[in-house]
Amino acid sequence: MRVWRIIAVVTLALIGTVSVHAEESVSDLPRNETLIVENPEGTIKNAGWFNIWAINAGGQSTGLHQLALDTFWFIDPERGLDGIWDNSLAADKPLYNADFTRMTVQLRKGIYWSDGIEFSADDVVYTIQTHLKTNGLRWSAPIQINVDSISAADRYTVVFKLKKPNSRFHALFTVRWNAMWMMPKHVFEKAGDPLRFAFDPPVTLGAYVLHGYDPNGKWFIWKLRGDWQRTSIGRFGKPGPKYVVYLDPGPPDKRVIAQLNHQLDIVHDTSPEGMFTLVKQSKSSHGWFKAFPYAHPDPTLPAVIFNHQLDLFKNRDVRWALALLIDIRAVSLASYRGAATISAIGVPPTGSHPEVYHAPLEGWLREFELDTGKRRIRPYEPAVGRQIAEMNRAAMGDQIPADPIQIARAFGSGWWKADPQAAQELLEKAGFAKRADKWVTPDGKPFSIRIMVEGESRPVMTRAGSMIAQQWRQFGIDASTVVAQGNMFDRRNAGDFEVFIGWSVETWGGHPDLSFFLDSWHSQFVVPPGKPQPPRNWQRWSHPDLDRIIDRIRKTAFDDPRGLELGREYVKLTVREMPTIPLMSYNVFTAVDETHWTGYPSAEQPYANPVPNWANSRYMMVRLKPRQ
Amino acid sequence: MRGYSIYLLGRLSQFVLVVFIGINIAFIVTHATPIDPVEQSIAAATQFGSTNPEAVALMRQSLKELYGLQGGLWDQYVTFWKRVSVGDFGPSLSAFPTPVRVLIARALPWTVGLLLVSTVISWILGNLLGGLAGYYRNNKVLWLAGIVAMAFHPIPYYIVAFVLLILFGFVWPVLPISGGFTMNMKPAFELTFIASLFKHSILPVLSLVLAGLGGWFMGMRSLVSNIVTEDYVTYAELGGVDSRRILASYVMRNALVPQVTGLAMSLGAIFTGAIITEQVFGYPGLGTLLVSAVHAGDYSLVLGITSVSVVAVSVAVLAVDLFYPFLDPRVRTTG
Repeated sequence: MRVWRIIAVVTLALIGTVSVHAEESVSDLPRNETLIVENPEGTIKNAGWFNIWAINAGGQSTGLHQLALDTFWFIDPERGLDGIWDNSLAADKPLYNADFTRMTVQLRKGIYWSDGIEFSADDVVYTIQTHLKTNGLRWSAPIQINVDSISAADRYTVVFKLKKPNSRFHALFTVRWNAMWMMPKHVFEKAGDPLRFAFDPPVTLGAYVLHGYDPNGKWFIWKLRGDWQRTSIGRFGKPGPKYVVYLDPGPPDKRVIAQLNHQLDIVHDTSPEGMFTLVKQSKSSHGWFKAFPYAHPDPTLPAVIFNHQLDLFKNRDVRWALALLIDIRAVSLASYRGAATISAIGVPPTGSHPEVYHAPLEGWLREFELDTGKRRIRPYEPAVGRQIAEMNRAAMGDQIPADPIQIARAFGSGWWKADPQAAQELLEKAGFAKRADKWVTPDGKPFSIRIMVEGESRPVMTRAGSMIAQQWRQFGIDASTVVAQGNMFDRRNAGDFEVFIGWSVETWGGHPDLSFFLDSWHSQFVVPPGKPQPPRNWQRWSHPDLDRIIDRIRKTAFDDPRGLELGREYVKLTVREMPTIPLMSYNVFTAVDETHWTGYPSAEQPYANPVPNWANSRYMMVRLKPRQ
Repeated sequence: MRGYSIYLLGRLSQFVLVVFIGINIAFIVTHATPIDPVEQSIAAATQFGSTNPEAVALMRQSLKELYGLQGGLWDQYVTFWKRVSVGDFGPSLSAFPTPVRVLIARALPWTVGLLLVSTVISWILGNLLGGLAGYYRNNKVLWLAGIVAMAFHPIPYYIVAFVLLILFGFVWPVLPISGGFTMNMKPAFELTFIASLFKHSILPVLSLVLAGLGGWFMGMRSLVSNIVTEDYVTYAELGGVDSRRILASYVMRNALVPQVTGLAMSLGAIFTGAIITEQVFGYPGLGTLLVSAVHAGDYSLVLGITSVSVVAVSVAVLAVDLFYPFLDPRVRTTG
């Protein structure tokens, strides 16, 4: 029995040792000065690499692009601290000449690198010239295609001479999620090959410097600079957290556990079920909306994306028929468990868009008529958002808002009313026929659709795809999903799909200009089948009316109100043509814990995007205050 | 001695052949992946950001040049073997330009440490308890241990891991659930760092031990149950030899021969990493590296890890083969 005694003693000793550390912090950093944030990039395999200008060499949202780097301008997907546009390193908005072949940037004075050197036009010129002469850097290609030359008019003024007119050239230096960051000339000019320089530790322009990192890539710690006033964000006051940790907390279940243990202040994203668990079990956790549906709607629009190079989807009557077979309420419940923000039109229902696109076009949508071949119908149902809210009210009770405006913000407005009869008429108009409960194409083949989804790596979208396949199947179409886990990007880019659930619409969110995605929808960029399609016209759709809209936007200044009118023309065109079936915004279940920090952005205080891997989440730092 | 020399030569030839074929298969499989590393890099660079379609075409061309992917498959094959012959797998395509060997060298100690310790612990405990249970068949505690081992054995590993995670990370949160050591601590040969290392390894090691124990336990119990019926054991018992001595010198010693073979094979396999363990417990190591390399289409890195694994398993098999004739002389003469 001596063996058992030894085992018992060792076990008790072990338990005693670990119990001493029960409830301890995950680090020795003072918790009331430390903000702990999830980095959704996961474990960084090359942790000691901070040269973000080299593609894919190290991490980006490790805090590097949120806290350490800077560029000319930021556009907030929400309302912003001081409006949606922020002049960051630039002192003013970009100044173009009349034909958009020259852009002048006035730089902000008094901004310093973390090693005490002042940021100046020399850094900008160096950054651009390095990208002009080096192939393979992250922004080499757009710079080489656009920039003829760059010069410094004085220490705080740079002039870009462009190879051809480009009214949106400044977008390259305007942060949505990221943008082209400025390089420290005094560091890189001594480093040799910029493709092979690790930049460890990074010399920063942001308000934080690197404090430490795990060589295994699990965590990165950033410390507030003593001279944070000499950074662009210093205008808004002192950032609250002295330390900000970006870490890989592991799978969704572990993120929930970590926040319930108050060891993870911001969960970047979790499953709808994870979010429901957090708000149920923790009084200090909440999402963007304090109540259901909690999630932050990103300015990204998941949709049913057809491959327009397949004959099957070239007829808009077929595309419309497929849209009218979708019951978006069921898709909302299946995908986001009801926590979706739907959109009937080709812009995401977030940021400024509900006010500048959805609401003004509501009347037009109600009047919009579709010719089924046998009759004209008005397919728009304005009450779908409210219906989804009511469906959720049974389970969520008071969590569901009663105010129609709040309902529209949380769940969206209207959508297309499921109408199988109209869908049948449209398909018959297109030459399809139903034989023994199964639809066949005009050439007599079974009407078969494979919907590509990402599987477990994107479960919400996969569930949406499965529900849509089920609805089409119930109508007699041979529809099913195919999982492309791991190679979705390759298949999407190569056009190796019939239909997929994904997005080809991403907008600024806060700003109504649509060129961020729309310019790439011009027919000049559509490639032949089998060739890799550049972002973002994954549907490979082209239309002469769309080309005309894009051509006019290209000649219109970014803030010109005519741009908004052209944006609405795009919306109307895509409603008529239905090149993709818009579903909802990409809702991110970012969960914040107020145990240690308060002042997070929310639907009530929409001063910044709460999703912490976005570079503009840096604005959150100046509003966060320690609880104790 | 001549017999052993012939045996040795044969096994060494087999080893070289197996390694060569194994690495070639790994090369073919990794290059047949539908994931294109250039497209993955472009997706990473253009995702969320402002992109100009013309720029993407130029970026694609630049990356192919940079990654050295412009030659045909045969050129890449020749380059690969030239590099492997000097112990180099080239640069990682998903962490360019960092060499693959640097990434592997960083992750390998964690994997070896975790799996070596857990494999050895589960082997010792499983064989010890299995041996005792097979010999002392009427002991109720050992009978109960057998029930527990058999109950644990069929449970999928990830269930065991998640149960431990929830028990000790949430219900009774006394153990860290992520990482290899405490955040903000610098790796150093100091007591605080070693203690942190130990604490962070408890849950991963425990999960692997619990999952691996049953197999060794049942194998050993079954072997011992057969050996105790042998004539020489009965003779020793009748001769009044102490039961502990019979167990240790007559029974366990003989039963250990196949178990040692199993241990060697298990040790060889540790170089593939414990993918689920690393994912669940956020533990550093080759498994996580391999998964991320596969997702990124980084065939240089995948090839590096699989080649290390092929060599490690082959070395383990070779070691067992070379050691076996000393345990069983019949192998030496027939080989």
